[in-house]
Amino acid sequence: MVEPEGIKVIDHSADVVVIGGGPAGLAAAISAKESGAEHVVLLDRNSWLGGILPQCIHDGFGVEETGTSMTGPEYAEKYIEMAEKQDIDIMKETMVLQFDKRREITAVNKNGLHKIKASAIVLAMGCREKTRWNVMIPGDRPSGIYTAGVAQAFINLYNIMPGKNVIILGSGDVGLIMARRLKFEGANVLGVVEILPYASGLPRNVVQCLEDYDIPLFLNHTVTCINGKERVEQVIIAQVDKKMNVISGTEKKIECDTFLLSLGLIPENELANNVGIEIDSITGGPTVNQYFETTLSGVFACGNCLQVYDTVDVLATDAKNAGKSAAKNLTIQKKDKKIITKVAPGRGVRYVVPQIISEPGKVHLTLRAEKPRESSVLHVIADDKELLKKRLLWANPANMIGVDIDIPLEVMTTTQNLEVMLGDC
Amino acid sequence: MIVERNITCIVCPIGCKILVRIDGTQLEIVEGNKCKRGIEYAKNEAFDPRRMLTTSVLVNGGEWPLVSVKSSKPVPKEKLFPILKEIKRTAVNAPVKSGQTIIKNVANTDISIVATKTVKNNKI
Amino acid sequence: MKNFQVAIIGGGVIGSAIARELSKYKLNIAVFEMGSDVASGTSKANSGVVHSGINSPHSSLKARFCVEGNKMFQSLADELGFPLQWVGKYIIAKNEGEINELEHLKKTGMDNSVSGLEMKGGSEVKKKEPNVSCVKALWVPTAGITLPYEFTIALAENAAENNVRFFLETKVTGLKKQQNHFLIKTNNGDFQAEVVVNAAGLNCREVVSMVEEPDFQVYLCRGEYLVLDKNYSSLINSMIYPVPVKELGVLGVHITPTIEGNILLGPSAEFIDDPYDKRTTKETMNNLIQEAKEIIPSLPDKAVINAYSGIRCKLALPESGGWADYRIEESKNMPGFINLLGVESPGLTAAPAIAKEIIKMISRLIELKEKNSFKSRIHGRKRFSELSTEEQLNLIKEDERWGRIVCRCEHVTEAEVIEALSNPIGAKTISSVKYRCRAGMGRCQGGFCTQHIVRIMGEYFNMDVTDIKLKSPNSNLFYGRTRGDQSD
Repeated sequence: MVEPEGIKVIDHSADVVVIGGGPAGLAAAISAKESGAEHVVLLDRNSWLGGILPQCIHDGFGVEETGTSMTGPEYAEKYIEMAEKQDIDIMKETMVLQFDKRREITAVNKNGLHKIKASAIVLAMGCREKTRWNVMIPGDRPSGIYTAGVAQAFINLYNIMPGKNVIILGSGDVGLIMARRLKFEGANVLGVVEILPYASGLPRNVVQCLEDYDIPLFLNHTVTCINGKERVEQVIIAQVDKKMNVISGTEKKIECDTFLLSLGLIPENELANNVGIEIDSITGGPTVNQYFETTLSGVFACGNCLQVYDTVDVLATDAKNAGKSAAKNLTIQKKDKKIITKVAPGRGVRYVVPQIISEPGKVHLTLRAEKPRESSVLHVIADDKELLKKRLLWANPANMIGVDIDIPLEVMTTTQNLEVMLGDC
Repeated sequence: MIVERNITCIVCPIGCKILVRIDGTQLEIVEGNKCKRGIEYAKNEAFDPRRMLTTSVLVNGGEWPLVSVKSSKPVPKEKLFPILKEIKRTAVNAPVKSGQTIIKNVANTDISIVATKTVKNNKI
Repeated sequence: MKNFQVAIIGGGVIGSAIARELSKYKLNIAVFEMGSDVASGTSKANSGVVHSGINSPHSSLKARFCVEGNKMFQSLADELGFPLQWVGKYIIAKNEGEINELEHLKKTGMDNSVSGLEMKGGSEVKKKEPNVSCVKALWVPTAGITLPYEFTIALAENAAENNVRFFLETKVTGLKKQQNHFLIKTNNGDFQAEVVVNAAGLNCREVVSMVEEPDFQVYLCRGEYLVLDKNYSSLINSMIYPVPVKELGVLGVHITPTIEGNILLGPSAEFIDDPYDKRTTKETMNNLIQEAKEIIPSLPDKAVINAYSGIRCKLALPESGGWADYRIEESKNMPGFINLLGVESPGLTAAPAIAKEIIKMISRLIELKEKNSFKSRIHGRKRFSELSTEEQLNLIKEDERWGRIVCRCEHVTEAEVIEALSNPIGAKTISSVKYRCRAGMGRCQGGFCTQHIVRIMGEYFNMDVTDIKLKSPNSNLFYGRTRGDQSD
């Protein structure tokens, strides 16, 4: 390509490039550096690091990791300081447009276009919120409909009040936390509507965000229609049956000016998708092995773009391992990955990560239960052989379950599929 | 009079449901806590419920219009809204450093309001 | 009071096309639009199809303006820079019984001098459209797709660049003939004009009734659409239409590729009473997917990223077949009052030809002199994501805001948002940004970029947060500041 003088694509190369400077990207970059990668580049599209954390001003972060409870901004700053000390090459306000199979990244920022050749890439793009259309809520299209995270950003980062009389759909953590936040800012929170028979957020958030302020939680309910030609005027809520179908005759109008959606998160994997990396249709994230390597060699994934985590603590732990693998990827001669064992969710389990075991040895599995259970038993089965049986005191879809398992070589050579199941005691 | 009550622990993400038996000023844990922190929490929750308070304070001349803040320790539940009222009236000048005290003895509680974020001066 | 020679009521595609055509002449022209932007009604909520003219009976105005308009589109797109693709259309017969209808359509098309019509066998269609099943299809190569809002906006902005005055959020509340001019009352003051063009779309009857007893009724027929994620753009290559639904006078639920790579399903057809009732309904959403699946069995269930509806302005009841021709005429009792009534589909295609017709009518009322200064805009808006590396680099070097992506789904830069907000008609809503540069139109539906657009509105346009609107005068986004407001 002929380019006019003075205007050029800026070329770089790096050992490890981390895409996304949220908690996962920061942890991965720091860990890659600590594990021996010399030149680590961290790219983020925002003007700040820490991703979503600076707007999560509530506390409860880091309890499992450090034993003390931090707020989101505090947790983020801890990692940002570490990254800055580690001599990581940080490029903010930089958007990755694409990368190819040879791990050449194209990115843009105010200085121009960049091509970065990476020996290893760590994907840490995070996730986005489900919108009204992901669950097909009909009605008008007025202003006053926000996803909970967007409302959170307006209130906590930009000093803007998005509504006064609010209904929240979805009892995920962000929705619960926003109920309290709005209450603190003087809004009237008319209720949280949840289609399931139980809250999908953590129990502690149900207590300290709803119960403390007598905010009603409508379980087994959904929103069937949004009314309001310009601004939201009312939403219609209705009860659902066991199959989640609306029970007609139970519809109730609630006058409000704002409708918040906390319907869950979708991993952001447009970049991975475009380059042909396999995506697990259940997690929405790339299929990875126990080293967090995707189906494209040298490309690793961590954080909420891999699977939606419920706490930043576990997310950061996994991300550090992903960063370490990316750094080690540089030095270790790749073995022929002829023996591969797939891990699949069985009865009672929604998904398992990693989905692939590429080497025998100790493997950390993370999984989610399909529904809340009291004490139950976790089974890992290779064909008809039980590799692991573990009693769990409780299993809740809101809490990710982690389990360590040793996978012997002989299992890998004889079995192509491992199944993870949850059963009654 | 002896009262039995369920308390959901909010110390960690597990959220144990702790059954307690309260007799006047005496509390006995019946069951449900998976760790020691739950005992402490249940006692406080029964007799002197407190919550960490997190919100934000207006910043003048900063790269962000707000700085996030927290209470230096959990505040009595009934004091939450009086404290929030005082915080809403408060403004600080940039720069603000994380950990910096923004309000001392907020609403006469002997508790401070502390910045949880660093806000630099506006670049202009 | 402000005086104009021509006042156009309605900034839809018809009003905007007329305004642009009139702006070639030495005239004082005003457009009154009650919405916060042009194209805020049916003009933005339709299939975006440039029709060929096979659906309307020979010698009807619909057929004439559609065929004429179709032929004008390419040069308009070249001048104004809005996107246009001649993707063609298959009208499919799902069973032997529907083949007759295809033959009938072909004959009508040929009567209307539509060229290139061809009958194709089911297997032939399969080769071009592997996901579509049919026994036979009529191939219509002269049907194309455009972005209806971009087309309307381009017409309006070019008119504004040629000195047409646009009054947004201005609803005409009264109209009176006084000697040799009309007095136009609005919520933004009174105006005078020698000629009034009623291009009020769904409200055309309301405008007529301000000056005389209307001799017609308007029947509103709502059509709902679903928008599919770009990931499924490869499902079809051309438009796929069923045979038209005769009883309702509509074309039926079709599957349309869009310029941007999404797919549209719809529209439904439901007669309603309220011209502002643009809701979508669960039943129709489910029906649209079911009906589309009859055409494309492999259509995925969870591909929807948006839903909307538009309202057709019909002059005939469903009982009488739902079909009536356009009425484009000067009032018999009130010279200088030109009405465009019942301009429904194919109104988008017909707009340029209708505009020419209106010029002819106005030229009989006012002497029209061409002006030398008319500028037909040659270049459309630049889109960072569509430029070459070299062009991108040059722009960033010129202005670093071209290097700041604010909409991550559609890769829209800060410079594009600023350009969209600097439009010559003065539209400054979140939707007016979206329809000009696509920020907020992707999968996350504005989740990430709304905050950037709000910031830009404050930073560069000095807008107070309480003045930021989604799309219409009362669609405020916010209720002020959480801290530091005077009211605290």
